[in-house]
Amino acid sequence: MNVSIKEKAQIKNSKPTQFFENGHSTEFIIEVRDLAKSFNGLKAVDRINLKIRKGELFSLLGPNGAGKSTTIRMLTTVLKPTNGDARIKDFSLIEEKNKIKPLIGVCPQENVVFGALTAEDNVEFVGRMHGMDPVEMKKRSKNLLEKMNIAGRKKPVKSFSGGMKRRLNLVMSLIHQPQILFLDEPTAGLDPQARRLVWDFIKDLKNTGVTIILTTHDMLEADALSDHIAIMDLGKIIAFGTLEELKSSSSNGNILEFSFSSRDELIQAKSKLERINNVKNISEMDNNKLIISFTGGVMTFKREILREIESFKALHFREDSLEDIFLKLTGRGLRD
Amino acid sequence: MYSIDVKAWYIAKKNIKEKLKNLGSMFWTVAFPIMMLLVYKLAFSEGTEEGMINGLTIFEVEFPGIVVYTIGMSSVTSAVMFAMSKIDGTLERIDSMPVSRGNVFLGAVISESIFMNLQLILVFGFGYGVLGAHFELAMLPLGYLIAMIFGIGCIGLGLIIASFLGSPEGANGIAMLTHMSLMFVSGSFFPLDNAGVFFTPQYWVKQVYLQLTVVGNSFTDLLYSGNIILPSSTASVFPIWSGILIILAFTSTFIFLGVKIFQKKTTL
Ligand SMILES: Nc1ncnc2c1ncn2[C@@H]1O[C@H](COP(=O)(O)OP(=O)(O)OP(=O)(O)O)[C@@H](O)[C@H]1O
Ligand SMILES: [Mg+2]
Repeated sequence: MNVSIKEKAQIKNSKPTQFFENGHSTEFIIEVRDLAKSFNGLKAVDRINLKIRKGELFSLLGPNGAGKSTTIRMLTTVLKPTNGDARIKDFSLIEEKNKIKPLIGVCPQENVVFGALTAEDNVEFVGRMHGMDPVEMKKRSKNLLEKMNIAGRKKPVKSFSGGMKRRLNLVMSLIHQPQILFLDEPTAGLDPQARRLVWDFIKDLKNTGVTIILTTHDMLEADALSDHIAIMDLGKIIAFGTLEELKSSSSNGNILEFSFSSRDELIQAKSKLERINNVKNISEMDNNKLIISFTGGVMTFKREILREIESFKALHFREDSLEDIFLKLTGRGLRD
Repeated sequence: MYSIDVKAWYIAKKNIKEKLKNLGSMFWTVAFPIMMLLVYKLAFSEGTEEGMINGLTIFEVEFPGIVVYTIGMSSVTSAVMFAMSKIDGTLERIDSMPVSRGNVFLGAVISESIFMNLQLILVFGFGYGVLGAHFELAMLPLGYLIAMIFGIGCIGLGLIIASFLGSPEGANGIAMLTHMSLMFVSGSFFPLDNAGVFFTPQYWVKQVYLQLTVVGNSFTDLLYSGNIILPSSTASVFPIWSGILIILAFTSTFIFLGVKIFQKKTTL
């Protein structure tokens, strides 16, 4: 159960990387070693270790305040780590951050736009800062803005909706064809249609060989896009692997969602459930809901449950999801 | 550190576009000096005893003060601009790109100077063209140079103020307070008889300007009679170059301190 993923994460994390002493493998474009950041004693990121493959899409999944953005801000050279280092391509984050800046693109969590300028001016400003050729830059800018459905507007960006600004930020992050792209919650605030558009766009982008590091607290997003996922909580990486690895190592994959009409009902049921052998884990959610993971077949379990518990509102069996994995690792929901 | 290069110009261009879209906010930086010029010109009627200082009209004596005010406003606008860049994420965003802070500062200096020029043209044009202040054409290059040097120092002052304040509103308030206090303490609005004026750059800028603008009206004689270069005794005329040196010292100090402090306060 959960211990196994935790152990796995620790084994992966504790490997000495030694990337600067003995040269490094080209398989990994980013290696993070013992990276940490404290804000007035609060450990926002607590000595994390990561290896990210060239050309993959790597997701940092975690709830609010997990330390995802702080990690991204350190890796994108704008925030100085309190400990550790990272190798990004051939360069040390601590020693050679100016050599890293030209390689990366950044879409920050909060939209950063120059509100008085047009979308094109915003994009071209980033292109200029990266020393792009103006002809190439204008062509690419037009193309990307079209793909994001925000081309042809001559109005200042401050008149854009939040979702449009989000997509503009995405274009701004990659106008200069970065080798490594950091996307901090790229689809935050997008409607389902725009979200789908961005997902497809990111998938296409991956096919061009760009390495993408994205953060999200949406397991659907991590599920849809990632090659590898690191689950982060309270500044630490608590699990790491492919989606399949995470799922298979976490349980036998059976989850029961149990809803009750009152808290009394829930408490009664909980005490009975705790006595059932097959039950591995019980988590209490808001709105009088229990999430139970269990071993063995669904039918037998169901029969056993119905024998024990009479009053409840609804019950629902399903497969283990990333959210359940997170729940098991931390005892909390992703959105707590 | 990256080198300073053409990227500074693109930053300046971006700043200029932003400012042009926001011209309304510049209204008061021009409207106030023009209003003051009108007050000096109209409220103190010419030819009467209380309207004159040693044969010069109050308007003539105060006109350089208004020029100082106009240039000094760049400390306010740049404080607001830098404070804004701290909180709206643009500074951090630029930090993630291959651009030096040197380019960011230079870009700001370029765009601020361009707007400072526009304001100066308006104020000079109004003062000389409409209200008929005295003008020595030969002194124009020197006067212009002093305006620019002092103006750049004011951008440094704005940078220092922005370093310590968390919001553009706060920066605006403190910068305005600083600017206005310096205007009064330096005797730029109304001559003050207090040795404190010597410690303000505004005082020296105004003195240099007085020499430039009123020089045609046998200015030196007037200086010796004591009433213009307050708080002087009868013979405190300083050569024009020593005034310029003082202004240069002010500018280098403020730019140096501004860049240092801002770097220290905003490097996370
Ligand atoms: N500048 C700062 N000063 C003080 N504390 C900070 C600062 N930035 C982040 N923190 C703290 O560090 C922790 C991690 O924050 P971070 O923004 O990295 O989380 P996150 O995983 O990105 O969360 P979210 O999903 O809400 O974006 C939080 O507890 C936050 O309060
Ligand atoms: Mg975040």
